[in-house]
Amino acid sequence: MPMSATELPPHAPSDTHDAPRGPHPLRAPVAAATPYLRLHNLSKRFGSSVAVDDVSLDIERGEFVCILGPSGCGKTTLLRAICGLDPQSFGRIEQDGRDISQLPPAARDFGIVFQSYALFPNLTVAQNVAFGLENRRQPRAAVRSRVAELLELVGLQALAGRFPSELSGGQQQRVALARALALAPGLLLLDEPLSALDARVRVHLRHEIRALQRRLGLTTLMITHDQEEAITMADRIVVMNRGRIEQIGTPEAIYCEPATPFVAGFVGTMNFIDAEVDAIGRARIGEVALDCTVEAFPGTPVRLAVRPEDVLLSTDEDALHGIAVEVRALEFLGPVLRLTLGDAALGARVLYADLPAAQARQWGLSLGVRLMATIEPTAIRVFPHDGAGA
Amino acid sequence: MSAVLGPVVTRDANAFWLRAGLWLLLAYLGVTLLLPLYALLSRSVEDAAGHFIGLANFAEYLSRPALRASLGNSLLVAGLTTLIVTATAFVYAYALTRSCIPARGAFRLVALSPLLAPSLLPAIALVYLFGRQGVIRDWLFGEPIYGPIGIVIGSCFWTFPHALTILLIALAGADGRLYEAATALGSSHWRTFRTVTLPGAKYGLISAALVTFTLTLTDFGVPKVIGGDYPVLATDVYKQVVGQQNFRMGAVVAIVLLLPALAAFILERRIGRHHSALSSRAQPYLPTPRPARDWPLFACCSLLAVALLGILGMAVYASLVRLWPYDLTLTLANYNFDLRDGGSWLAYRNSLWLATLTALAGTTLVFLGAWLCEKVPALPWLRGLIHMLALLPMAVPGLVLGIAYILFFNHPGNPLHGLYGTLAILVIATVAHFYTVGHLGAVTALRQLDPEYEAVGASLRTPAWRLLGRVTLPLCLPALLDLAMYFFVNALTTVSAVVFLYSPDTVLAAVAILNMDDAGDVAGAAAMAVMIFLTAAMVRTLYAQLSARLLRRLQPWRAGSRA
Repeated sequence: MPMSATELPPHAPSDTHDAPRGPHPLRAPVAAATPYLRLHNLSKRFGSSVAVDDVSLDIERGEFVCILGPSGCGKTTLLRAICGLDPQSFGRIEQDGRDISQLPPAARDFGIVFQSYALFPNLTVAQNVAFGLENRRQPRAAVRSRVAELLELVGLQALAGRFPSELSGGQQQRVALARALALAPGLLLLDEPLSALDARVRVHLRHEIRALQRRLGLTTLMITHDQEEAITMADRIVVMNRGRIEQIGTPEAIYCEPATPFVAGFVGTMNFIDAEVDAIGRARIGEVALDCTVEAFPGTPVRLAVRPEDVLLSTDEDALHGIAVEVRALEFLGPVLRLTLGDAALGARVLYADLPAAQARQWGLSLGVRLMATIEPTAIRVFPHDGAGA
Repeated sequence: MSAVLGPVVTRDANAFWLRAGLWLLLAYLGVTLLLPLYALLSRSVEDAAGHFIGLANFAEYLSRPALRASLGNSLLVAGLTTLIVTATAFVYAYALTRSCIPARGAFRLVALSPLLAPSLLPAIALVYLFGRQGVIRDWLFGEPIYGPIGIVIGSCFWTFPHALTILLIALAGADGRLYEAATALGSSHWRTFRTVTLPGAKYGLISAALVTFTLTLTDFGVPKVIGGDYPVLATDVYKQVVGQQNFRMGAVVAIVLLLPALAAFILERRIGRHHSALSSRAQPYLPTPRPARDWPLFACCSLLAVALLGILGMAVYASLVRLWPYDLTLTLANYNFDLRDGGSWLAYRNSLWLATLTALAGTTLVFLGAWLCEKVPALPWLRGLIHMLALLPMAVPGLVLGIAYILFFNHPGNPLHGLYGTLAILVIATVAHFYTVGHLGAVTALRQLDPEYEAVGASLRTPAWRLLGRVTLPLCLPALLDLAMYFFVNALTTVSAVVFLYSPDTVLAAVAILNMDDAGDVAGAAAMAVMIFLTAAMVRTLYAQLSARLLRRLQPWRAGSRA
């Protein structure tokens, strides 16, 4: 087999005899370029409802992938299928070239951190971390040194003898992480690992988990509903909605080039403006025309999506290009002010725009002030009006 | 191939044993519950020769006025008891949870103490209080205590703590915010009581009433001792089976007894489903002193507590008197059971054995069963079936179970025939009789654990039994000890199921009470009832002392969680 055994985690199968040798439409021969984790057309039904609907996804070795979506979008169901806790109804899962679709959880190769951490309260920190090691019939000294190594990895050597109830939330989270890493799994699964923590600890741990993951080169799949967490941590983000994948891409691509109105609305803040095509490359909002990338027959209704920070404002009322607007509401967000802008020419529509607070102070901004708003054509995403995707 | 499949095969072995465990449990519950009940049902629709005759036996039952009358008597007595107990237990529970009366701990202790006594004890005490030579027989204005009055009073005594426990739980879970809102809106105390307290306790009240009704209806001890010639269903079953050896009619009466109990049980389960838990944001309600409420409640509680203590005290006193009412000198002679007709220390020792073995076997079986039902991800339909079977004993009165056991195990064709007359069958019957409450307790304890422990265990490739031993059992230890205590006390005090199943070698203390009472030795009966009560009370106290110390010693992490 082309893969060398030394690359594998110590307990992973060192041969792959059971992979079919003949050509297979979905299963390329195992090669270095093969993704580490492959989900093929995965579906999960509960009675008549479909929790996960035909999801296919490849995750490369060493990659950090976030599955992002609102609650009920199927992301947890997907994770539980990957663990084997709630097996999929249809579809196939391959890990490291091995079909694991039908294996029970204990025969799969993953470590997991749950939102609740699920630490065993009657065991000390060290005993929790050693829990999986003690099944392996390894000498005690080997277990002890491995535990010490893991605790050092998460910076908890000093707390080895404590019980979970004596630790802070962030410390408990790290114990859970060390325990999940104990058997050197090929895949780390994180189920909303940070959502039970205070905001400050959360930000700190984001960096820590990411650094650890990079250091170990560990393929990681994290489930989260927190877009900020996904954007700051992931190599790639998978946005899910109603059991389906809406978009897969880098954080930047997800933010700047959302593929669907759902992604545009779920990640970050977005202006959605009903408009209709005026001509090729131009849309009309009420009585205002706006340049943008659109190719459709004039009169086709569309939705324009614009980030509030991409609405550029000036006090120059005579500017040639732009929309004359009036400040209707002000919301102080700290570093920026979010303005609600409107005008008779826009009809009932309003436009949200972010303005640096310092700029607003300089302008002496207040309700009723008139401004010019301009939007770069490249900053406008155009979606069909029915909202079914770009 | 082997490197890949190797570990999978061992995991499958693990899964195999868990599945095998579920099937075994189903088989056990089938043999100790379903098959006996089936034997009972089939006997009730057969003639003496064993031919199927449909409902002819039931028609015969209804044609006998004496038997029909006892159905009405049973319903009347159970209905009256239910009214009295639900009302008084509500006041008592309200006083304990929602007022600032003094000595609440002592009141609770007194009210719960009847749980430690067999239901025969209050009946015997009533004989001494209101019987023909009773201390206060004039209080009944010439009415005899032997009959409905005695049955109702005796039943009230021993069902009171059962209703009280349910109502204490129902009233303890109050959301303080609702009361603050009511006060802020200027609501009167009475209006708050009607619009907040009563609706909140509604399901508890219904549940307490149904439980009291079922307990009274199916109890055999009280009417046997104090019922006189007032027939009720429970004594009819006994008369048919033990007196006339008429198993066919015994089975019919048992089913007549089973039906209302089953109906009450189903109703209770349906209501329980609506009973939503408090939201996690609820603030506990802390009562503030209010003399206008507290002192009347204190008076009510004192009255009830004195009544309970009076009955209990009378039994103790009666057991110590040499010859009631002629020679009132105190003596321990009544406790010399070996010299008395119908009693023996063997019965007491057997009872201790039964209680100990039931506690051990029952706790092990019930906990493992609940664990298999809750934590094994395989065969969901089978787990659902087992769960339903586990609820069944609650609906089956002990007497009914006892007859079902005779009919099933005493059948010459049964390969388990050899169990009949042994201590083992008493243990099996007692475990089956009290299975439901134990199962529900164990399920509750298991459901309080993080459901992800099993997933973590699997991800660490730990066999299920190891997680059970290392994490689940230690975490559930207090629940396990409670479970053992529950089985112990009930095995000690129960009389209904075992009264049909004992042999001369396995006679039990509670049965000895009956036999001594039958033989006219009421003082000996009282002494044995007191022995049971004292034993249960002592074990209960020891348990409370030891378990706290044991948990502190063995499970230091519990202290940490409180810090």
